[in-house]
Amino acid sequence: MFDRWANAFSVVFTPKILLFLGQGLLNTLYIAAVSITLSLIFGTILGLMRNRKDKVLRTVATVYIEIVRNIPLLLFIIAMRFMTRLPPLESGIAALTVFTSAIVAEIVRGGLNSIDKGQWEAATSQGFSTVQTMWYIIIPQAMRRIRSPLISQFVTTIKDTSFCAVVGTYELSFTSKIVAAHRTIVTAEDIIVLYLVVALIYYVINRSFAAIARRERGDAMKGVVR
Amino acid sequence: MSGPFSLHNWEAWFSDWSFFASGFLRTLYISLLGLIFTLIIGLVVGILLCGKHKVVLALCRGYMSFFQNTPLVIQVFIYYNVLPKLGIRLGVIVIGVMGLALYTGAYAADIVHSAIKAVPTGQLEAAHSQGFSYLQSMWHVILPQAVKIGLPPMTNQAVNLIKNSSVLAVIAGGELMYCADSWSGSNLIYGPTFVMTGVLYLVICLPISLLARRMEKRSVRNV
Amino acid sequence: MKKLLSFALVLALALVALIPALAEDSADVAAVKARGKLLVGVKADVPNFGYQDLGGEFEGLEIDLAHKLAEVILGDPNAVEFTAVTAKTRGPLLDTGELDMVIATFTIKPDRILQYDFSKPYFIDAIGLLVMKDSGIASFADLAGKTIGVAQSATTKDALQAAATDAGITVNFSEFPTYPDIKAALSSGRIDCFSVDKSILNGYVDDTTVLLPDTFSAQPYGVAVKKGNTGLLSVVDDTIASMRKDGSLDAMVSKWTLPAVDWAKVDEFSVSLWQQAEELANATATPEATATVAP
Repeated sequence: MFDRWANAFSVVFTPKILLFLGQGLLNTLYIAAVSITLSLIFGTILGLMRNRKDKVLRTVATVYIEIVRNIPLLLFIIAMRFMTRLPPLESGIAALTVFTSAIVAEIVRGGLNSIDKGQWEAATSQGFSTVQTMWYIIIPQAMRRIRSPLISQFVTTIKDTSFCAVVGTYELSFTSKIVAAHRTIVTAEDIIVLYLVVALIYYVINRSFAAIARRERGDAMKGVVR
Repeated sequence: MSGPFSLHNWEAWFSDWSFFASGFLRTLYISLLGLIFTLIIGLVVGILLCGKHKVVLALCRGYMSFFQNTPLVIQVFIYYNVLPKLGIRLGVIVIGVMGLALYTGAYAADIVHSAIKAVPTGQLEAAHSQGFSYLQSMWHVILPQAVKIGLPPMTNQAVNLIKNSSVLAVIAGGELMYCADSWSGSNLIYGPTFVMTGVLYLVICLPISLLARRMEKRSVRNV
Repeated sequence: MKKLLSFALVLALALVALIPALAEDSADVAAVKARGKLLVGVKADVPNFGYQDLGGEFEGLEIDLAHKLAEVILGDPNAVEFTAVTAKTRGPLLDTGELDMVIATFTIKPDRILQYDFSKPYFIDAIGLLVMKDSGIASFADLAGKTIGVAQSATTKDALQAAATDAGITVNFSEFPTYPDIKAALSSGRIDCFSVDKSILNGYVDDTTVLLPDTFSAQPYGVAVKKGNTGLLSVVDDTIASMRKDGSLDAMVSKWTLPAVDWAKVDEFSVSLWQQAEELANATATPEATATVAP
């Protein structure tokens, strides 16, 4: 029995396959990194817009957030791929950014709202303008609170890149499917080993990401909001 | 053929609406069942996490860790194509419900656990002093308060679950996204398909989101 | 003075407007030349047609054809950029303009001719059936009541449905986004048969699977360009025609160990395909369509 498993390992762990999976992994990380960065920027802007007194800005942001948050990511990925001129990786980034920005916006808004009103009052009593209050008092505190939910969300973003496989983008999930269909992968043990390896890769990446992001401030609180 | 959003394309979509209706219903069905099992898993694991038994805690954390850090797509693919090799052949709907429940349940457990922990410890002591047993305290005093705390993030997970049901499109699951994919592929009509599919998902998810928002506002007021 | 200036301006504009008409290249070909690269969508998982063994070089009949076309249009056979496509993505990517042309085992069908501009065929294939060796299925009739896996947006489903009706049996279909998904479903027993063009199936045959002898519905492959890019289309058609004449196309086909093509039959078939397309166009003509005059 063991020789079948040993054979499976030798079949999966060939340079060609590992290299191919590696390319997939690099694409996954690329898509995730750019999407996370962009959605942080847009999401924060949206979250701030949502909180302003200005009715126009608020409505625009709210409509965008509510619509995007309630539609599956897969729909955005397919739509972006088929209706825009963007190359495969970039259309995946666009879809992920549009989708994740809405979620980041909500997290930012939640963070801003959780700051005690007293902070605002104290700041104004000290002569701070609205912008100054936001910049020096509110946002730093809010940033600390939303750390955890943000990390949790970005771990999800890394996982969400796997949806791009549906439209033939060469990230890790798609490359692993191609390997699974390759003529050298035949027995049940082969496929099991392959998929355990792929799941493990995602697991390690996500855990490392979360660990590194949390260690920067020594914050051990686990997030609850997705 | 004039553009993806031509009148002809819209007419074509609406003439086949019954196909999408069946996908819509299946999405509802799978989501509902998935939600029920998610709640069960979330409650069980979340409460177990409050205990002290080291092995149980490790198992729960391991479960949550694995399912929160691997993609749902890979999980579903394993259920669909790898399990049969081990002799376990499950139907597509079963896989859908199970996959969604196991995945979302990991997050639900976190929410349940945090919500219970957020109830002031004084409550448990007060209940004991009134003669409630542990189980009675949980049921009558702690859990109701925990539910109020945990409901908003839980509805968030519910919406996520409904959105994630779209993953079944990859394994010929017959739900809404699969129908959208299949129909747009056969008819080469993309514009109206994607817009209407989005609208249909909004119809299911938006009410829940808005409900959650209203609950959040109310709970803030009551604090 | 003013009148003279405005007259000169109008004249200049008129001359400028005439330039495209005077130029040799149509807009679409000119765009390719300006870019200096031909953007071609090809398969990556079909041995002998468009194959990229785990991220290596692209190779196959369709790759060679792309190089030839690049040579004709740009003078350099290597001025090509390949994008791997699936049955699902090849059409939309043409529409968005991301690709100049698609040479990806794209079967010419009357309704597809209405959507994209196809060249005359460069090869003809047939739909095949792949089953597991230990399933005991030996012919199409054995598939009665069973499930066949097909790719989304492929012509396979319709062709097999028609064949099933003719044979008096009912079959079920499961659609998947990519071929590896279908192969995985076959080997895990989710579906009883994987069906698509035989040439594509060859890429998925291994020790556990076997191709059934039945074949269906001739599948002529054509190069597809975006609807309206008639300049590119005529270049492609001319190239294919001249390659047929000087035998280089036959040489390419045999280089990739593919069965030789009966060109007489292909031509007959083509005529009927384009005729059917026209009938289809006339049949679905709505008042709105007649307002926008057909090109």
